[in-house]
Amino acid sequence: MHPIFHNWKASLLYLAAWIPLGALLGLLISITGRLTALETAAVTVPITVILALVCLAPWYACRALPLQSTGAAPLFGQHVLAAIVVSGAVLFIARLIASGFSDVRPGIAERFHAASPVLAVMVAMIYLLSIAMHYVVIEAQTSRRSELLAREAQLRALKAQVNPHFLFNSLNSISALTASDPMRAREMCIQLADFLRTSLRLGERAAIPFRDELELTRMYLGVEKVRFGQRLQISLDVASACGDCEVPALLIQPLVENAVKHGIALLDQGGEILMLGRLGKDGLRFIIENPYDPAAPASRSGIGLANVRQRLEARYGNAARLEVEASEDVYRVTLILPVKPS
Amino acid sequence: MRIVIADDEELARNVLREYLAKENGMDIVAECTNGFEAVKAVAELKPDVVFLDIQMPKLDGFEALELIDRNVAVVFVTAFDQYAMRAFDAAAVDYLLKPFGLDRFRAALEKVQRRVGEARPSAQSSELRNAARPAGEYLDRIVVKDGTKVHVIPVGKLDYAEAQDDYVALRSEGKTWLKQQTIASLETALHPKRFIRVHRGYLVNIERITRLEPNTKDTWTAILTDGSHIPVSRAGYTRFNSLTGA
Repeated sequence: MHPIFHNWKASLLYLAAWIPLGALLGLLISITGRLTALETAAVTVPITVILALVCLAPWYACRALPLQSTGAAPLFGQHVLAAIVVSGAVLFIARLIASGFSDVRPGIAERFHAASPVLAVMVAMIYLLSIAMHYVVIEAQTSRRSELLAREAQLRALKAQVNPHFLFNSLNSISALTASDPMRAREMCIQLADFLRTSLRLGERAAIPFRDELELTRMYLGVEKVRFGQRLQISLDVASACGDCEVPALLIQPLVENAVKHGIALLDQGGEILMLGRLGKDGLRFIIENPYDPAAPASRSGIGLANVRQRLEARYGNAARLEVEASEDVYRVTLILPVKPS
Repeated sequence: MRIVIADDEELARNVLREYLAKENGMDIVAECTNGFEAVKAVAELKPDVVFLDIQMPKLDGFEALELIDRNVAVVFVTAFDQYAMRAFDAAAVDYLLKPFGLDRFRAALEKVQRRVGEARPSAQSSELRNAARPAGEYLDRIVVKDGTKVHVIPVGKLDYAEAQDDYVALRSEGKTWLKQQTIASLETALHPKRFIRVHRGYLVNIERITRLEPNTKDTWTAILTDGSHIPVSRAGYTRFNSLTGA
């Protein structure tokens, strides 16, 4: 449902705005078609009401064709086409009404015919204007929401980066290594510090090159590799063209952390996390695949995925996708991000 | 003292082994890398104490605790925060938060030594688990002991549970499993829309009920898909109707 109906004051205000618009339409019809006041009202009132409702439709059309990710030609073409259709339909209805009155008001259909071109142009213009206004409203809404979400995500990302479970387990590994292999203990300290420092630095930025996000993910996996040893195998295959793409910071790393926490960590023999990155027509496509134990109690990884989905929606509308498939023992997350041509 | 270590991470086991080597009379009888192994080792080797990690493959530490003999002292070794662990105060002798130092470890050992041979309080670990679970979340599987082995029953495959003194008899896929738990605590752990307490002694998977037959004035009999007959009390009948909207 259109958001304007969530608020009855806004709905009334919207309808009130149509009174002068309807009056303007009526005035134009009566001048060009030489209709009397009564005839004008009989035609104008119903089509104004219809138009008021039809002009809410761009809410759906505008969201289906987001400004950022729709090319100028399809954007222009689709909306103009819609405006022509709407204008044609309104004109048709107006003519039906006019001819309905031709018994009581002889000649009304012919006189109205003279007013048709003006009416058609006016309706199309009003509809296009409504589309423009909807874009303005949607943009304002998204930017407010994404600002809020970005701030929230930043906080959460910082918190998630210093995921206590991960941190304490890593410290425990270091504690174990200090006795058996001090050099490796030191190495792991440094790896952990590098990871924390990098994630704090990247977390402050809204968008980062994909290369940096991958590097962070690699650092994270480096630390986990010490903890899980042979149980954690990693295969990373990312096309070099992906490196320059701008992506929201700290989007991939939490997904990979899920793959470790809910996949590898719950498997006796562990397994391989497979990551594949490609740049295609639909943008950047990144796949994370990991084996998992289907018998393990349902995990709460859903919260992490919901968080990523929210961030994607705030930033890209419905132009980005996050797909999750769980087969018998393989869990696959596919992320598709539209890429700005640089 | 005979000891079992259960942790899926080798480095975490190394810490425990290293600390135990500094003490006298410590005998590590088994090292396990998942919850199944831990339950099995404890049942077979009857150690004095088991050091139990929480996040492990196959069976987590909480599930393992439910199946470990109450005479065996349990020390949780975990990276979980202490608030999450507080609920288990009564069931575990102690909990060590990773990473921990030698002093803290020794304190835990002393606690264990003081309580060797002493059974855990009768407060059941499965009930503690209920208390620790967030509201609105329910079990999706039930673990039971089958001799020294562990059997996992996904809740969708549980037909019904019957109270038998301190135990519940769980009927699943044509077999019956016994678990030390009260039917009331099992009831609170399962989704209230999927399992209904049709009788003081019976908890039934609603999907298994084919029909209810009137018995006497105030009692009914539920016929399940496998042909079992389950008594239904007046209160159970009301609950059934309010759930199915009949």
